[in-house]
Amino acid sequence: MLRKLTPYLFVAPLIAFIAVFTYVPIVSSLNLSFREWDFLTPNMPFVGLDNYRELLSKRDFWASLHVTAGFAAISVPLRLALALLIASYLTRETLVSRLLRGALFLPYVTSTVSIAVVFSWVFSTDYGMANAALRFFGVAKVSWLQDPTLALWVLIFVNTWKQLGYDVVIYIAGLQAIPQELYDAAAVDGGRPGHVFRRVTMPLVMPTTYFLLVISVIEAFQVFTIVNVMTRGGPAGATDLLVNQLYRIGFVLFDIGQGSALAVILFVLLVALALIKSRILGKRVHYEA
Amino acid sequence: MKPDNPILAAAALVAGLLFLSPVLYSIFMSFQTADAYYRGGLDFTLDNYGRAIGQYHFARYLMNSLIVSGCVTVIALTVSTMAAFAFARFRFPGGDLLFAATVATLMIPSHISLIPNYLTLAKAGLLDTYAGLILPAISNGFAAFFLRQYIRGIPRALDEAAYMDGATPLQVLWRVIVPLSRPAIFSMGLYVFLTEWNNYIWPLVAIGKDDLYTLQIGLARLYRVNPGEGLVDWPLVMAASTITIIPVLFGFLLVERHLVRGITMGAVK
Repeated sequence: MLRKLTPYLFVAPLIAFIAVFTYVPIVSSLNLSFREWDFLTPNMPFVGLDNYRELLSKRDFWASLHVTAGFAAISVPLRLALALLIASYLTRETLVSRLLRGALFLPYVTSTVSIAVVFSWVFSTDYGMANAALRFFGVAKVSWLQDPTLALWVLIFVNTWKQLGYDVVIYIAGLQAIPQELYDAAAVDGGRPGHVFRRVTMPLVMPTTYFLLVISVIEAFQVFTIVNVMTRGGPAGATDLLVNQLYRIGFVLFDIGQGSALAVILFVLLVALALIKSRILGKRVHYEA
Repeated sequence: MKPDNPILAAAALVAGLLFLSPVLYSIFMSFQTADAYYRGGLDFTLDNYGRAIGQYHFARYLMNSLIVSGCVTVIALTVSTMAAFAFARFRFPGGDLLFAATVATLMIPSHISLIPNYLTLAKAGLLDTYAGLILPAISNGFAAFFLRQYIRGIPRALDEAAYMDGATPLQVLWRVIVPLSRPAIFSMGLYVFLTEWNNYIWPLVAIGKDDLYTLQIGLARLYRVNPGEGLVDWPLVMAASTITIIPVLFGFLLVERHLVRGITMGAVK
């Protein structure tokens, strides 16, 4: 009897945590999204799809979706292109390449709040490093974080700076998996470096690119910390990414129903992306075997 | 290691320094007097650190971060290793389903549980407590998934020999599997610790009391709630920021390899 129970006892603690804090909340979010509640009143009436209807009729929601999609559409290709270029230079096992990999990777493990604070200074109008650099080239100072267009670019820049090292490390692993014989063969055929990069490297790291593409899009849709610290979604909603809006609706305005509706929408979106990812991953494993 | 072309190497190093310059400069700035910072000059002081630690409670926040990340790491590794062992070594009804549910947590974005977990902990009276910060963070299947893959690589004959000698499953786990999985457990521990150390959104919603702020919350507050009207005390803020990054920086320099491995393994999730 005890023998049969053994494996269950071993998995029980973890499964209990996962059930209470991950799976039950999905059901509660769905339930709360059909209700009207503000944390305080004792009852929470069922209102059907009202929260979704209200959310989808608001300009704020569409603006936020637009900003988030724009953020992803610009930052993801930028990151991947930069990362692939840098990674192809850093694949060699030299001291410098190891130091640079370390330098690039450091921001990825550094506190996002610290990074956000440091870059708030870099892009501050009066004493920041960015404007000091502009002054050096004789350009007038710019209010980076107070300008609606520039503020989003600043966030894209900061996010790229933070995540780049991760992409580079993954690309290096992908590049190192390409058999050297292919490059030797290309060299025998007299391929120029640019040509070899396009015809050999790019197609062969495609699985890595797909993988990074999907996880960076997922990551971009969950950006919150740099927004919360650097801009609070402003100026004029220009950097109001979806999770920032979720935080505001749920924990500033205390509109639990609508916050949950937004959480459910975002959840469906991200799980769909994640499922695409696991299909790609399945292919990748097959490909490498 | 092959030698580098010196010119390329120098250029690459300059590029690396330039890349890190904002952080490096912020550390430099944290030792400047306010006067030197605003007017230029080379006056250095530890006063910013003194104020951050004393007046602005960063010693307390540092302790909170250590307690929370430390507890999360220990508990998560314990429950994950146990589950990983069962998933790797036992076939039991429902086992595949439970494993799938564990792995699926990697695909579930954490914000979906933000409001419900807040309500759960409010009901349990655990908002504004260490437990409220720690418990939800354990709910992550990544370590269990990673360790299960690793344990499957350990020859089963070793378990069986121990069972022959009359060991119980718990003893096999503790005497055979854990010692042989040490590198994997270590990598995962770093990964979990770091993730929790840098966690922001959960402590932001779960903690309202200054006493329980983690470094991340304390730092964000210090920056957002400007001491002077619109004028941020940057050297002070940078001292606080340096306190927040230093443990990670040291950890990183010590164990870069393990860390990179733990995190790149995350790519296979």
